[in-house]
Amino acid sequence: MHVHRATSVRQAATMMAALGAGARFLAGGTDLLIQLRRGALACDHLIDIGRIAGLDGIAIEGDAVRIGALTLHHAVERHAGFAGPLRSLIEASRVVGGWQVRNMATIGGNVANASPAADLVPVLLSLDATVELTGADETRRLPLPQFLLGPRRTAARRDEVLTACHFVPPAGRHATAFLKAGRRKAMEISIVNVAALLAVDDAGRCRSARIALGAVGPVAFRATDAETGLQGGPLSDEAFEEAGAAAAAASTPIADVRASAVYRRHLAARLTVKTLRLCRERLQEVA
Amino acid sequence: MSTRLFRLHVNGAVREVEASESATLLDVLRGPLALVGTKANCLEAECGVCTVLLDGRAVTSCLVLAAQCEDREVVTIEGLAEAGEPHPLQSAFLEHGAVQCGYCIPGMIMTAAGLLREKHDPDDEEIREAMAGTLCRCTGYGKIVAAIKAAARNMRQGR
Repeated sequence: MHVHRATSVRQAATMMAALGAGARFLAGGTDLLIQLRRGALACDHLIDIGRIAGLDGIAIEGDAVRIGALTLHHAVERHAGFAGPLRSLIEASRVVGGWQVRNMATIGGNVANASPAADLVPVLLSLDATVELTGADETRRLPLPQFLLGPRRTAARRDEVLTACHFVPPAGRHATAFLKAGRRKAMEISIVNVAALLAVDDAGRCRSARIALGAVGPVAFRATDAETGLQGGPLSDEAFEEAGAAAAAASTPIADVRASAVYRRHLAARLTVKTLRLCRERLQEVA
Repeated sequence: MSTRLFRLHVNGAVREVEASESATLLDVLRGPLALVGTKANCLEAECGVCTVLLDGRAVTSCLVLAAQCEDREVVTIEGLAEAGEPHPLQSAFLEHGAVQCGYCIPGMIMTAAGLLREKHDPDDEEIREAMAGTLCRCTGYGKIVAAIKAAARNMRQGR
């Protein structure tokens, strides 16, 4: 296997086009190198994009947030701008792997990997994020749901590098939360993970609800039926229970070594309710 | 398998080593550089025994390619002592009896070294969170946490 270092996105894209199907982009490497060692993946060339300038960092301009693809999980965990209503980003980042992994693993990698259990993905879905894809000749943006096609499958063209995630938080009072279920608190691949965003009007009624679930389907998804049920109504326990039931109904979990499908579906409902309650509590904090 | 020459900065010295192009930092440390204080175990960042500092951050060297480390500073357990004096973490682990079989201790100390570079006064919760990816199967975590707290205190007091 050959390892090439790219110093620009354009160079990485050109290398990928030239090297063909046997090449993969390498950023943090915390998933890719495991897959290669296990023999789950094979490749002839790795194109190291980990040190391309300008792909690292979090920028907040006006309302718009840009998280560069090479931003480490650690950087998101520590970002003061996410300590308020955008806390779900911190909550998801800090449960990815251990301390050492979060010092290497990138946000772009967590998304581009397209693992159904990726922890940042439900959060970014709940923030209506788009992904920025850069090829040799053009940059385009895709809504995250259009980017994620299936387990480990994305809409990125071969030569495109995921260069950033973008989102604009909703105007007005809002809160977010993220919860995941695993066998232990640290170092776990999620059995189920849920991210939610609730925005309210002055009367405290739900202006907008966004609920996203991971590890209960081939791709993480927005539970739109659950969201619609909350829209315009009060943030009551009853409404949350209905949203939980709707989220479970939208789930299509598999049974695997981590959990049965029945348990996952149960968790989808309960974690949705808990996440929504957490958002409600946080809305009180900022009231 | 194609090999190449890597130029690495390890424990303050420039080292040139020949290794497979896809060698990990761990492979190079324990192989040609014979720095075997860094342990090789799970090779999937589950256990933390291969932890080293890369540009001052604790990383598992099993999941970093040597190719990703060129022009970056690597510090291993062998490079932590200064001028013959043990690092405050090393002293504190000894004083607190935080070592049982010892196998995980280089990884523990390097993970803690990364934490203390970032947080000078971590509380128990922060220590436990930072150490969550570094496993001790003797399960002597209580003394390890106490040793890290003591080392942090000593370092703040300039000892």
